[in-house]
Amino acid sequence: MKQEITYSESELIEKLILREQEAFTYLYDHYAPALTGIIQQIIPDTETAADVLQQVFLNIWRKIGSYDAGKGRLFTWMLNIARNAAIDMVRSKSWRENQQNQPIPEDVYNLGKPVFQPDPDDTGLRKMVSQLKDDYNTLVELSYFQGYTHEELSKMLNIPLGTVKTRIRSALIQLRKILDKR
Amino acid sequence: MNLQEYISSGIIESYCLGIASPEEAATFEEMCRLYPELAAARNEFELQLENHAFEQSATPDPAIRESLLAAIAEESVPATPVVTMAATKPVKKFSWLAAASVIALIAVSALAVTFYQKNKKLEKSTVALQAQLDSTRLQMEELARQQSMISNPNTAVVSLVSTETTAKPAANVYWDSTSTDVYLVVRNLPELPTEKQYQLWALINKQPVDLGLFDAGNRIILKMKNTQKADAFAITIEKRGNTGGPKGTLSASGKML
Repeated sequence: MKQEITYSESELIEKLILREQEAFTYLYDHYAPALTGIIQQIIPDTETAADVLQQVFLNIWRKIGSYDAGKGRLFTWMLNIARNAAIDMVRSKSWRENQQNQPIPEDVYNLGKPVFQPDPDDTGLRKMVSQLKDDYNTLVELSYFQGYTHEELSKMLNIPLGTVKTRIRSALIQLRKILDKR
Repeated sequence: MNLQEYISSGIIESYCLGIASPEEAATFEEMCRLYPELAAARNEFELQLENHAFEQSATPDPAIRESLLAAIAEESVPATPVVTMAATKPVKKFSWLAAASVIALIAVSALAVTFYQKNKKLEKSTVALQAQLDSTRLQMEELARQQSMISNPNTAVVSLVSTETTAKPAANVYWDSTSTDVYLVVRNLPELPTEKQYQLWALINKQPVDLGLFDAGNRIILKMKNTQKADAFAITIEKRGNTGGPKGTLSASGKML
């Protein structure tokens, strides 16, 4: 029988900072499936997603000292490491060269359309985002899944920076409502 | 924008999902420090996000687990090779060579350990510097906020004079007549015992209206509750968490000009 160990979040962080490998094993076993889900929402290709996951856990191990519990939960911090790593991969040269069968969209609004069609049973974040109205969907798709900054979005979509900010926030209020209903 | 409006403005969601701009994020973090209610609302969304991510789990490639654990184990033990190498039996015929290589190994390992330690130290000081930079930036933003509010032509300034000493103003209230925002700058209020708090009131037709409780800490500027109008402002000393009207002693007051 495998022995079940559970740590509180603060215990786990403390042990990780002390470089305790059992704590890392626990961290991996506990969070890897959820983080894999997050990464695969951005990178549907499972092999590439696996490479990203590996890099994400190495980064978590190396950067745990800079985690600040006052700014949010451990999972939120890891989610952002995972999301950033996935976006870096999507934007990397090697990845784009492998995606040559994807035509380059001419209309920037098409950039905002998901590159894959989620199946109807999918209730992932990307599916929820696709339920938002068109310009909200575009902004969240480009900022969350493709990592464009507010300034880049303002230039790409030719809308003022302040409007980008307020629309993203309104889009997220809608997204929260979809999440609350579930 | 009051706290409730800020909480439901979408900033929590945009911060947690990592799509807030760096300025928005810095302000949000500072606001969370100031308002526990905001931090609690953030925590609520974080849990929701976490639960959703767990529901949406996918099975990771099992090979990753092994290679990660191996990589971690390697990173965790930087200095052990020294011991194992020195313990190997020297080759008799070329013992001078073996000795030399052991010495070389020890030297190299020692160097590696030194570098490792130096690197750790550097990492630590980088983290400390970053933290310092972050807090300086927050202070700068706070100052900029204060500056823009003070220089706003719609902002009225009221000096609240202490009931005990008239030498220095106890606090200044800045009231923006267009946004109805109220900010308080504490100038000279003595620290209170922990069970007491100061409370700011707006006096409207001689009736006190609560603008919020605060401590005389070292905050540069405090955002209080909004008010549509005020004839005067007053500060009283109340029990911590006072509800209802003023019950304690008047500490300072000032009339709107």
